[in-house]
Amino acid sequence: MSASLGNTAMATSIKGEMVQPKLRDVPAVRMEAVYKHYGEFTALNEIDLKVAKGEKIVVCGPSGSGKSTLIRCINHIEKHDEGLIYVNGTELDRQQKNIDAVRRDTGMVFQSFNLFPHMTTLENCILAPMTVSGMTKEEARDLAMHFLTKVRIPDQAEKFPGQLSGGQQQRVAIARALCMRPKIMLFDEPTSALDPEMVKEVLETMKKLAEEGMTMLCVTHEMGFAREVADRIVFMNEGKIVEQSAPEEFFNYPKSERARTFLDQIIH
Amino acid sequence: MSHFSPTAAVNYFFNYFLMKGVLVTIGLTIAAVIGGLILGMGIALMRMSSNPVLSGAARFYTWFFRGTPLLIQLVVIYSGLPQLGIKFSVITCALVGLILNEAAYLAEIVRSGFMAVSAGQREAAWALSLSPWVTFRRITLPQAFRLMIPPLGNSINSLLKATSLASVISVEELMRRSDMLMQEHFQILEVYAAATAYYLILTSVWDAIQRRLEKHFGRSSASKSKRAAARVPVAQASVEARA
Repeated sequence: MSASLGNTAMATSIKGEMVQPKLRDVPAVRMEAVYKHYGEFTALNEIDLKVAKGEKIVVCGPSGSGKSTLIRCINHIEKHDEGLIYVNGTELDRQQKNIDAVRRDTGMVFQSFNLFPHMTTLENCILAPMTVSGMTKEEARDLAMHFLTKVRIPDQAEKFPGQLSGGQQQRVAIARALCMRPKIMLFDEPTSALDPEMVKEVLETMKKLAEEGMTMLCVTHEMGFAREVADRIVFMNEGKIVEQSAPEEFFNYPKSERARTFLDQIIH
Repeated sequence: MSHFSPTAAVNYFFNYFLMKGVLVTIGLTIAAVIGGLILGMGIALMRMSSNPVLSGAARFYTWFFRGTPLLIQLVVIYSGLPQLGIKFSVITCALVGLILNEAAYLAEIVRSGFMAVSAGQREAAWALSLSPWVTFRRITLPQAFRLMIPPLGNSINSLLKATSLASVISVEELMRRSDMLMQEHFQILEVYAAATAYYLILTSVWDAIQRRLEKHFGRSSASKSKRAAARVPVAQASVEARA
């Protein structure tokens, strides 16, 4: 079994130093002047963002600032109204084949886990590899057990999601996403629905993934995680990216007033 | 005559003529459930469609068939339609009426089942690039079906008894045959006691089947996921709640 956590091409991470990604490669994600409206409400207001391969981005900001909408647009779970989004060079236009290609390149982890409650852990993990990637049951099973071992719950393979703790469910959700061998992982507040004592096990799993070079975009309020793992913090307010900088800079010298008040409120 | 004869009632219960009526009742019920589910599923899908013509037509259908008595529908199909040159056999009339009526109720049950499957389930399926068919077949349908069983059971119980209305258009099911026996022998209580016993037996058998179905399809849901199923649709409804 040679499966590893994601692409190892950029295993030597560039934590901290790098604010603007180098463009020697096609960026993992490129957003240009992206808008998203819900009726009168502007959820995304002229978003420009480039994410290099292997980069780890933490998106933060007050609630309603558009963080979740931003990352949900990247795999087209939310449809942007205007602007351009490219994922690994594939444009997210309205063509289904492009949408499919982008979704195969990205894995997503949700706040509410969204495991399939009527399937066991293992069945959750093998469904997509079997029906989308065309693997046999044995191949899919080996792959799933590999990733379930990575997230340290191989012994829960035959259990149903309802029988697992929140932390275990979220780790299953991560393993399920990894089974599709994504190049980019999107995390939408992965620890917000968890009891405090379960946050750590999920963050540890995500750190391990980051160390292995996965490109990651993560919406989170876990500032310790952001400080430790992120190459760049993207701070949003009212649908706009207000500032983006390396964690050191963002936490110690926030440029905008809004970011200062935000940090005051969440760091006690 | 001013007494009730239990022996006569038992005799009616084992009356061959009446038993054949029971078989017709069972047959009508099963056929109407199957036909109603197929049609109802189609109507539910139309109702959930984003096409306003389709959803409008489905809405009209349920409004019409749930808003008028089954008895009128049966009589119109049986005695009204021939006036327009449309003629069916008696049994076909009963089936058409029962299926059309049942489909309107089942469509609402099917629809509510699908709506109760959380948006997050579909999003997870999209994120995994599952095809629409796999998403329907493996994710949405099984979860919706589990939620549909209790109201479905209720509806089928009603239908079983509603087949007695077909007696009015002279279908010889249990009710009609009871009437015929009664008119022949004038042992009203005895005949209807036998018929009542049959209806109770049929509904009890269905209750038992329904319990087994619930158990079978609920086997994966520990108390936790049931709570989740109840909570999620509300929690994810509002747009402002996320972002």
